[in-house]
Amino acid sequence: MDSAVKVYESTFIVNASLDDAQVDGVIARVHDVIVKNGGAVTATTKWGRKRLSYPINKKTNGFYVNLEFTAPGTALAPLERSFQLDEMILRTLTIALDRKAIAARAKAQAAAAAAAVAAAETPAPVPAREPLFKEVAPDKKP
Amino acid sequence: MITTRKPRREKENQIPRKKRTCRFCDAKEIYIDYKDEKRLQRFVTEQGKIIPKRITGTCAKHQRQLVQAIKRARHLAMLPFVSDAIR
Repeated sequence: MDSAVKVYESTFIVNASLDDAQVDGVIARVHDVIVKNGGAVTATTKWGRKRLSYPINKKTNGFYVNLEFTAPGTALAPLERSFQLDEMILRTLTIALDRKAIAARAKAQAAAAAAAVAAAETPAPVPAREPLFKEVAPDKKP
Repeated sequence: MITTRKPRREKENQIPRKKRTCRFCDAKEIYIDYKDEKRLQRFVTEQGKIIPKRITGTCAKHQRQLVQAIKRARHLAMLPFVSDAIR
């Protein structure tokens, strides 16, 4: 059962004091571990630098990265191990995506795509602007 | 034995409240994502505690999902475990 290929999602926080090239290096290392253990990365999303709600290792900022990958269950242990060994990774969360999550994701993507298409086809009509200042008739003095 | 049922006392002093419905059911939500930080924040007090479902009106099924999502978000420092109001 452990070797069945599943869809996983991994979010991790990289030390935000690294510059972008170094962050890419960390991500590439994680990719390597997944691929070497028989998985395939399907999506990588960088959320960018964000403020942490509480300090982790005395750091208040972090660079969030979200990976989606398919892998056999046996790939997870080495992946978690590599996360632990990498000093630039502050925190990780790896979860298996269940059917509901995948369905919700597909729905959200479809909605986003539909919205993008709709936006491209029909540009939002520019409402006729009203003059900012209306000319006010001077008070009639008796 | 004959039991007579007491008539239910009218709750006169209480203000009639509108029945709350589960927001996730209303939106036909099938999955509550831990990444949706802003959405989760509505179900957490200022201190960072999870608001019980009797207050928010969330159904049991979605409350369970919500709790899991909040705890995941906390692990990733997207939500606080505790946060004191700034005085």
